[in-house]
Amino acid sequence: MKVRAFEHGLLLALAVVLLSIASVSSAEEKAGWKNGTSLAATQEKSCVRDTAFMRRNHMEVIKHARIDTVRKGVRGVDGSLSECIVCHVNKDDKGVPIPVNQEGQFCAGCHQYVGVSLDCYQCHATVPTH
Amino acid sequence: MSLAFAILFYVATLVLVVGVALKIMQYSKTPAPLKIPTTPAPTTTSGVVMRMFREVVFFESLFKATIWTWIFAWAFHMGLFAVLIRHGRYFHDLLPAAIVGPLKYAAFAMIIGLTGLLIRRFAVNRVRYISAPSDYAMLILLLLIGISGAMMTFVDHVDVVGVKSYFHAWMTFDIENLILPSDMVLRIHLFLVAVLMLIFPISKLLHAPGIFFSPTRNQADNPREVRHVAEWAEKLSK
Repeated sequence: MKVRAFEHGLLLALAVVLLSIASVSSAEEKAGWKNGTSLAATQEKSCVRDTAFMRRNHMEVIKHARIDTVRKGVRGVDGSLSECIVCHVNKDDKGVPIPVNQEGQFCAGCHQYVGVSLDCYQCHATVPTH
Repeated sequence: MSLAFAILFYVATLVLVVGVALKIMQYSKTPAPLKIPTTPAPTTTSGVVMRMFREVVFFESLFKATIWTWIFAWAFHMGLFAVLIRHGRYFHDLLPAAIVGPLKYAAFAMIIGLTGLLIRRFAVNRVRYISAPSDYAMLILLLLIGISGAMMTFVDHVDVVGVKSYFHAWMTFDIENLILPSDMVLRIHLFLVAVLMLIFPISKLLHAPGIFFSPTRNQADNPREVRHVAEWAEKLSK
């Protein structure tokens, strides 16, 4: 009987900890990303969505545009890769844009850091086209 | 919360490493007084190494014994192995995207395998009869870890760069930069992993190091060629 009570206690403790983790509402982290940043990313002005959302879901926003525009023919969806690049490209000393998929740049910096493939630029331009 | 998790993982890592090391020492000291390799067994040491390799990598004896259990067990273990390799990306920079990307589907092998093993626990009468609470507990714990992990890959993306920089700070004791992304699923996942690490050295999961010490598997079938004397018996005869 004693063992049973111990097990129940253990399960209860586990449940309490899990619930408290789940219910903690913590402020959004302000971790600065050392890898691949851009001028736009360091400024207060916001992207098409807030930073926390973009960090986690930028790929969905871009994918969405791809399916909507290419397959369904819908134009003017919010989120366009070329506009991403206009803001997030870095420039060298002479003012020439550095491709975003080059090592340490805005896209490649993080993608290399966590080993995530970056295949947008097999087709798309890596520097602003206008 | 970031610091609490960091401390939890320092403790859990210590318990896991020291606990498993102590267990391995205990296993290596445990006497094996009898010559009891399961026959047919190899007659040479290199044969034993080969057999152990097939046992550990392919689960040969389970394959010959219970094919359904083998299907789920092997799927789970191989899935877990691939998932562990993939998680290496949070601790070092050696993994290219070409490996990290495709390996994400291993999560499904893991979850399907665990689900099969859990169903086996209560759907097969003779297995249910001998199942202890810990048998269910380990399966459910691993299943929850697998599901919460797969959720972050396939349903609700987590800030993976944030996770990596957190664990980089964790490994280098850089308390200032210990900032854990605030995703709830991530915290549940990490908490369950810490629980797993803490109970590993006192759980049935010790079969991982244990199999290498099991006399029915690590002995050569050579009782006529080499006389088998247990260490403690050897001391007595001197």
